[in-house]
Amino acid sequence: MENLLQQLLNGVTWGSIYALIALGYTMVYGVLRLINFAHGEVYMMGAMTGYYAARWLGVAGTPSVAGLVGVLIASMIVCGLLGALIERVAYRPLRGAGRLAPLITAIGVSLLLQNAGQLVFGADPKFFPPLLESHEVLRAGEVAISNIQLTVLVTAVLLMGALEYIVQRTRFGRAMRAVSYDAPAAALMGVPVDRVITGTFVLGSMLAAAAGILVGLANPKIDPLMGLMPGLKAFVAAVLGGIGSVPGAMAGGLLLGVIETLVTGYLSSTYRDAIAFVILVLILLYRPTGLFGAPQTEKV
Amino acid sequence: MALLEVSRLTVRFGGLTAVSQLDFAVDEGALVALIGPNGAGKTTAFNVITGVYPPSEGSVRFAGREIGGVSPHRICASGVARTFQNIRLFRGLTALENVRAALQGAHRNGARDVTRGPGWQRGERAAEDEARKLLDELGLGAFADARADSLPYGEQRRLEIARALATRPRLLLLDEPAAGMNPAEKQSLRALVAQLRRAHGLTIVLIDHDVSFVMNLSERVAVLDHGEKIADGPPEAVRRDPKVIEAYLGAEAEARA
Amino acid sequence: MLALAALHWLAPLVLNPYYATILARIGIAIIAAVSLQLVNGVTGQFSIGHAGFMGLGAYASAAFSVYLGAALLDSLGASGLVRFLYFPLPLVCGGLVAAAAGLVVAVPTLRLRGDYLAIATLGAGEIIRIAILNVDAVGGARGFSLASASHTAVDLRFESLAGVYAVAAVSVAAIARLVYSGGGLAFRAVREDEIAAESLGVPTTRVKVEAFLVSSFFAGVAGALFAHTEGYIHTNSFGFVRSFELVAFVVLGGLGSLSGAIIAAAVLTAAPELLRGLGEWRMVLYSVLLIATMILRPQGLLGQRELLGLWKSHGAARS
Repeated sequence: MENLLQQLLNGVTWGSIYALIALGYTMVYGVLRLINFAHGEVYMMGAMTGYYAARWLGVAGTPSVAGLVGVLIASMIVCGLLGALIERVAYRPLRGAGRLAPLITAIGVSLLLQNAGQLVFGADPKFFPPLLESHEVLRAGEVAISNIQLTVLVTAVLLMGALEYIVQRTRFGRAMRAVSYDAPAAALMGVPVDRVITGTFVLGSMLAAAAGILVGLANPKIDPLMGLMPGLKAFVAAVLGGIGSVPGAMAGGLLLGVIETLVTGYLSSTYRDAIAFVILVLILLYRPTGLFGAPQTEKV
Repeated sequence: MALLEVSRLTVRFGGLTAVSQLDFAVDEGALVALIGPNGAGKTTAFNVITGVYPPSEGSVRFAGREIGGVSPHRICASGVARTFQNIRLFRGLTALENVRAALQGAHRNGARDVTRGPGWQRGERAAEDEARKLLDELGLGAFADARADSLPYGEQRRLEIARALATRPRLLLLDEPAAGMNPAEKQSLRALVAQLRRAHGLTIVLIDHDVSFVMNLSERVAVLDHGEKIADGPPEAVRRDPKVIEAYLGAEAEARA
Repeated sequence: MLALAALHWLAPLVLNPYYATILARIGIAIIAAVSLQLVNGVTGQFSIGHAGFMGLGAYASAAFSVYLGAALLDSLGASGLVRFLYFPLPLVCGGLVAAAAGLVVAVPTLRLRGDYLAIATLGAGEIIRIAILNVDAVGGARGFSLASASHTAVDLRFESLAGVYAVAAVSVAAIARLVYSGGGLAFRAVREDEIAAESLGVPTTRVKVEAFLVSSFFAGVAGALFAHTEGYIHTNSFGFVRSFELVAFVVLGGLGSLSGAIIAAAVLTAAPELLRGLGEWRMVLYSVLLIATMILRPQGLLGQRELLGLWKSHGAARS
């Protein structure tokens, strides 16, 4: 029982990481109907930027909350800009070019970032500086939660809460929702669609960057290819929750994290990566619109 | 027994009822028109008859067999072909290839396309000849090797018809075949449809907005409005039916409001 | 035929082994690219997990050779004739296993459209790769070598470049004949307008599954060739990076053009090998090229046309 609780805790922690990344996928899909394959690489850039930012800000050696916050902010800003850049250069020229061309381009951008990352950062793994000293915060029998896990959870919840606020209660969020329901109509109503789309990319990228930092805290070994698997899995999480749905991405991420951890813990760890893909295939077959999505029909 | 029997057909999409309790029968060899204002449910009815959507309630019988909910390619194989309101040609293929695709798409050679024995060549040549004949019959002979999307509009509409004919149908459904045509073109389309009907022994149901186009061509007219049939009979009677007049005038008034 | 014979005997004399390896890889890439083109370009179903089928073909054929073939060759005496007769066996084995997987993947996923289909195939490719990784009998994480046979006197590797290109020629010809025939118009009809095709009697689901089957068969053959020319395989060669490479070949050559896929596969496989020092920049180059092409020239090199209208005249029209 206690082992189960521990597993659930770990699952929810990982799940919140997936959720943060999944939100970027889902929001971009919502406004553009595009699967931004490059998003996993933005997460990787978040971790890498954090690594360099920590050195640059001089907080790499001494753990501190302020240092962590500084690194988070720096990384989120850089990656937000990166997201905007990608949208502007690679996706905007293809607006209205059908569904296939942007998909292929997204794959291209993903490959580009991975390989450029290997060239620029070196292919060898780096060690993310310990911005917080790890220690147990709470213990109830066999179940323990470390301060790092707590930080991850709290940060994720805060960020998701902030996003929810933006989406539901600000003009920008309204504009985003309008564009995702019906972009041409939104444009006719005076919504600055281009800026909304760029803003969506920026928001999603900032969340992914934060996820990268949090992962760096929890699993210090980082490398330029670290975005591949989590990126794909976060995408699965977004589909699981219903691609295009913000609460769906959050739910999907948490669910995927928990399922993955439980299966790995109780069944087998060698198939860990396959779980996400099996879920993906099952979801696509039996409920392609995901848990929170709405079905669509084609007019003949 | 009529060739096509639609009984109490109801089609719902979510909360919207597109077609409601439609009863409609077409005898073999007849030429019937289905008219009504925009959104009346005519194309939806066609879509159900050709298997694109399943009926929510009711039945569709063709040559005595139930076809409601059957997949479109099987319905086509039993002898029902259609053209589309918004032209759906195979745009990257030539006119000849469009017709051949319809001709040979259902009866494919499979592995024999790879091994290519002597019979294969003969089969291919025969198919090509038949396709060219159809193109000629619809006055498209000169366009055989042109890309479908390079054809002028009127020719594209006729290519749609040629393609449908290639499936050797007993029942041909024409969805707005005269859309976008000027009066002269409509005149020659009328003649063409009548001629094709004779030459191929077709039963034809056609949808159109243009009431006069339809009146001179068909033997019987059925009128739909908001998914329900409001009139069904010879053209002259329908033209004067007050319910029909109101449906069209009412639609006009709504449009003007 | 003459060209192949010449290739078989002259090649080892003229080419040093490094170039021979590159040429072999080109031949294999061609088969894989053309097979993917059938599904993505000709039938319009976007599959991005193709490397999984190559991997299956590679591993299945290698297992066949190591566990069955070695014993067979040993007992029959590995003369030239015997090896020549044996040659197709592991290839067909690899192809059939891959095709079976293709069927399993195709039937449920071909109901999906566009992006969803692409993602499902990506998932399928990864599931296949991870599944293979977990099979100890073929090496698991250590990879699998053709030399692990208990019949160590037998060399299971294929040395003949002519063999590779013979297989490539047969594969490409088979696919070209399938596509450029009256019945083959069905594939393109499905690509152009699936609803119209279905309404005109084309059994679209069956057509898509067929394309998938044929495509995965030849991907398996390509994988089998790869296993038998390289002598050692690892699942790392069959992950989604490889799938994306194949997608790049197909798109850059022109989605829908068989000859375009051939050219792209040949050029993009050869170039980085020959341009020394390009090493890590190869993938960066690919990706930039892919992005630039989609933005500036989305139809790729040949669009949907073929080089010299070659195959179009092959049995389609008499003139």
